[in-house]
Amino acid sequence: MSLPPPDPEGRRPKTVTAGRVGVYAFLVISAAFFLIPLWVMLMTSLKPMEEIRLGNIFSLPKLWTIDPWISAWSGACTGLECHGISVGFMNSVQILIPSVILSIAIGAVTGYALSFWRVKGANVMFGCLLLGAFIPYQVFIYPLVRLFAATGLYNSLLCVVVVHVIFGLPLMTLLFRNFYQGIPIDLFKAARVDGGSFWSIFLNVILPMSAPIIIVATILQVTGIWNDFLFGVAFAGRENLPMTVQLNNIVNSMQGERRYNVDMAATLLTALVPLAVYFLSGRWFVRGIAAGAVKG
Amino acid sequence: MKTLRQALLATCVVIALPAAAVAQDAEVLHWWTSGGESAAVKVFADAYTGAGGNWIDTAIAGGQNARNAGVNRIVGGNPPTVMQFNTGEQFSELVANGLLRDVDSVAKANNWSDVLPKAVVDAATRDGSFYAVPVNIHGQNWLFTNNDVLQKSGVEAPQSFAELIAAAPKIKEAGFTPLAHGGQNWQDHVLFDAVVLETGGPDLFLKIYRDKDTDAAESDEFRQAAETYGKLRALTDEGSPGRSWNETTNLVLTGKAAAQLMGDWAKGEFIAAGLTPGKEYGCTIMPGGYMMGGDVFVFPKVDDEAAKAAQDKMAELMLSPEVQVAFNMKKGSVPVRLDVDVSAMDQCAQAGMKALQDPAKQVASHNFYSPDLVGTTRDVITQYWSAPEMGTDEFVENFVSAMEAAY
Amino acid sequence: MTTIATTEEPTAPARRRRRMPLAAAIALVPAAIIVAVVYVGCMIWTVRLSFTSSRLLPNLDFVGFSQYERLLSNTRFLTSVENIVLFGVLFIAACLVFGFLMAVFIDQRIRGEALFRTIFLYPYSMSFIVTGLVWQWVLNPTLGVEDTLHKLGLTFIDVDWAVNRDTVVYALVLAAVWHGAGLVMAILLAGLRGVDADLWKAARVDGIPTWRVYTSIVLPLLGPMIVTAVVLLAISVARLYDLVVAMTGGGPGIASDVPAKFVMDHLFERSNIGLATSAATMMLITVAIVLAPWVYARYVRPQVPR
Repeated sequence: MSLPPPDPEGRRPKTVTAGRVGVYAFLVISAAFFLIPLWVMLMTSLKPMEEIRLGNIFSLPKLWTIDPWISAWSGACTGLECHGISVGFMNSVQILIPSVILSIAIGAVTGYALSFWRVKGANVMFGCLLLGAFIPYQVFIYPLVRLFAATGLYNSLLCVVVVHVIFGLPLMTLLFRNFYQGIPIDLFKAARVDGGSFWSIFLNVILPMSAPIIIVATILQVTGIWNDFLFGVAFAGRENLPMTVQLNNIVNSMQGERRYNVDMAATLLTALVPLAVYFLSGRWFVRGIAAGAVKG
Repeated sequence: MKTLRQALLATCVVIALPAAAVAQDAEVLHWWTSGGESAAVKVFADAYTGAGGNWIDTAIAGGQNARNAGVNRIVGGNPPTVMQFNTGEQFSELVANGLLRDVDSVAKANNWSDVLPKAVVDAATRDGSFYAVPVNIHGQNWLFTNNDVLQKSGVEAPQSFAELIAAAPKIKEAGFTPLAHGGQNWQDHVLFDAVVLETGGPDLFLKIYRDKDTDAAESDEFRQAAETYGKLRALTDEGSPGRSWNETTNLVLTGKAAAQLMGDWAKGEFIAAGLTPGKEYGCTIMPGGYMMGGDVFVFPKVDDEAAKAAQDKMAELMLSPEVQVAFNMKKGSVPVRLDVDVSAMDQCAQAGMKALQDPAKQVASHNFYSPDLVGTTRDVITQYWSAPEMGTDEFVENFVSAMEAAY
Repeated sequence: MTTIATTEEPTAPARRRRRMPLAAAIALVPAAIIVAVVYVGCMIWTVRLSFTSSRLLPNLDFVGFSQYERLLSNTRFLTSVENIVLFGVLFIAACLVFGFLMAVFIDQRIRGEALFRTIFLYPYSMSFIVTGLVWQWVLNPTLGVEDTLHKLGLTFIDVDWAVNRDTVVYALVLAAVWHGAGLVMAILLAGLRGVDADLWKAARVDGIPTWRVYTSIVLPLLGPMIVTAVVLLAISVARLYDLVVAMTGGGPGIASDVPAKFVMDHLFERSNIGLATSAATMMLITVAIVLAPWVYARYVRPQVPR
C-alpha cells in the first residue's frame, strides 16, 4: 500500500512539446488563482492606511511598514484592553494540543476496533456517527451547554477539549477505519496467532504502521481546532478564550476607520500555525493519503 | 501526556477560581469594541476601579455573538457578573425563567423611578422590579451630514427624506454619494423605520410593531413609506451591500458621501475622529418623531455575596449623574437621567435631550417588541431593498404575511 | 507471512466473528457514549423541540406541526434551500473537476511539484471566516478586482459578483472552491500515484491517447477516492455558515442565505428555537435521506472479507 516505486520509463512522455507548455501554463494560472488572496493580504498588511485608501490592492507598497503587524500582535484593541491577539495565543495552544492528541487517540482506537474486531452494533454506531457529521454545529450548542453545566465541567479548558474530541470523532474514525481496512488482514491474523491481545496488537503492530494517517489526521485537526471560534466562545470560559475571539474583536472592532492593514496582519498571524503545519508537512499529507489513508 | 496533565491541572484551577474571587471583582460581558464604544465603556471601567472594584473586561464583538455567549453562560451556571443587552424584549425571558437578579434595593435608594423618564422605567422593569440598568438613550433616526460635501454640491442640509431625494441629483453631479448606506439587514431596517416614522408618525409605527395591526400595513400611508424607501436605493453607492455601519459612517466622515441615516452611536465615530458637530458635520432628527433605543446592563443571579455587592455597586455607579454624562459624551448617546446637566454636551446631544422633553414625539424602537416580528419583517424589508423589481404591492403583501407568521 | 496465516485459517470473517473480546468492546465505549449522548441525544432533542413553541429558552409544550407549516411558507427558508442546493452542486462539481485537473497536471513529472502542491493546498489551512473576509475584499467593487480593472481602463468589465444578488451564490462558490479544491487535488493525486505503472505501458503499446486513458481507465479506478472527496465536501456544504456570514452576511437582501444561517439567526437573535429546530430537523431528514443508502451499503452492512 505504499508508494509505487518511481517508474523509470515509459509512463508519460518527457519531451518538450506544446503539451508540456500547456501543462505549465495551467499550473501557473491555477497557482496564481490560489495565491492572489494571500498576496492581497500580505501586501495590505505591509501598507500604511493612506495607501490602502487609494485602492490598488494588488500593488506593492510604496512605503513598506511592519507597524500593522506589531499592532496586530500586541497593540490593537480588543475591547477595553489593547494587547492585540497575543493574549489568546497561549490559550489557543493550550486548547490545541490536548484536543488534537485526544481526538486522534480516540479516533485511532475506534477505527482499529471497527476494522479488525467484530463488536455487535459497532457498524450501526459508525453509521450514526457519519450522519451526525452532517448536522450543523449550532444545533448542538444549547444541549451541550446544559449537559456540561450538569456535570460541572462547563466553561473550562477540559470542556472545550471534550467538545473538540466529540466533533472530531466522525472524521477521525472514518480516516483511521479506512486506513486500517487497507492493512492486510493476514498481518493481524498472524499477531492473533502469536497470542496478541487487543491492546498489544494495537500498540505493537498497528500503531507503528499508522504514521501516514496520523500525519493526515494531525493536519486536519490542527487546522480545524485552531480556526475554531464557535466552540471556543461557547465552552472555553473567559480565561481560556482562543485567539480567534481576539481576531474577531479586532476585525469587527473598527477604531473609527477600519484598519485593513491591522486586520490583515492579525488574520495572517492567526493563520500562521496551520500554515506552518501545511508548509512543513505538505508532502507527508499527500503521501499519507497515498498510503491508503482516504479510500472512501 | 504531560500536556494533558497540565491541561487537567489548569482546569482545576479555573474551576476553583470563582469561589475564591476577591470581593468587588466584576466581570462585565459586552460587545462594545469599536473606537467610540471602547472609549465609552472605559468610563464605566474607570469609575468602577476608582470606587475600589476590579473590572474584568470580556468583550466579544458583535451583539449576537456576545449575547449567545452570555445566555449560554447564564444557562450553564457560570454567568458573568454584569452583562449587556439592548433595551427591549431581549432579556424578558431570562427574567421569566428566574435567571436574573433584581436591583430594587439600589433603585429605591437612588430614587430611579423619579429621575428616569417613564418609558425608560417601563423598559427596565418587569412586574415593578428593576431587572436592568438602562445606561443611555440612542436616537435611531438621525441624519448625519458632511457639511463640506453639502456645500460643494450647493445644497442645504436635508431636513426630510423628500428633501434628500430632491437634493440627490446635485450631490451626484458634484461627484459624491448622496446617501451612505450599509446594506446589512438591520441597517436596511433602521432606515425603513425612519421612513415609516416620517410618513406616518408614531401612530403608524406603533400599530405595526406594537399592535401587529395588519390593516395599518395595508394603509396608504404605509404604502407611501414603502415607495419613498424604494426611491432611496438609487442614492447609494455600489459598495453598499454588506458594509458595516461604521465603515459607512466613514464615507461621510471622509467626505465621500453626503449623508447617512443612523442611530446616534455613529456620532461616537465622528467624535473619535476629532470632528465637532455643527462645524464639520451636521445632525438632524428626521421628522415624525424621535425613535429611541438604548443599552441596558443586566445582573445574572449569583449566590456569592461578594458578587451581589459588586452588582449593586456597578448598578449604582452606572446611573450616577457624573458617570452618566461622561459615558454618554463618549458614546454619542443621551443620558437616561432627566436631572443631569447637559450643557457640557455637544449640539447633537442637546437636540436629543430636547426631544426627550416632548413625550408625544417619543417612540420606542423596534427592539421593544417581539423579536420574532422584528425578524420576519426584517427579512421582507431587506429583500425589498435589494430587489427593486419587487413592487410596493408585493412588498405590502409579504409584509402582512410576515406579521401574521410572527408570534 | 501471507501464506502462513491463510493456510492456518481459511475463513477469515467466520473466525473474526467468533471471538469478540471484552477489550474491543471496552475500547469502543468512549465513541459509543459520544454517539449515544451527543449525536443521537441531540438529534432527538432537536426533533422534539421542533414540535414546541420554544422561544429564547427551550420548553417542552406541544404545538404539532405548526412550526413546519410556518417554515414551509417562509420565503427566506425556501430561498436558503434553493441556494444550498445550487451551491452544493456547483461547489462539489467544480472542486472535483478542478481538483482532478490539478492532480493530473501535477502528475506529469513536472518541476517544482512540491511547490505547486503546497500552493494548491494551503488555502485549506485557512478558516472559512478568513476565506470569506479575503474574498469579500478581493471582490469588493470599490476596492478590489473591479476597481483595479477600471483603473486600467477596462471599465466595461464589472466584477460585482459578491454584491449582485443574481451572482452572489457563484461568488460564494468561487471562494469555497479556492478553499477546498486543493484537498481534492491531494486526494486524487494520491490516487493517481497508486495507479499501476503497467497500465500506462499497456496503454502506450496499444496507442491509446493519454487523455482517453485518463477518462476511460484512470477515472473509474479513482472511484473510492472521489467518494471520499465528495463526503468531505458535502459535510462542509451542509454546515456552510461561517463563509456566508463573513463574506456576504446572507445578502444582498436574502440572496445568499443558507439553512445553517437561518437556524442560527432564529436560535438566538430572533428567540425562536421552535422554528430554528424545525429547520434543523428538515436539514437532518434531508441529509439522512440522501446519505442513508450510501452509509448503509458502504459501512453498516456486514462486509465481504477484504
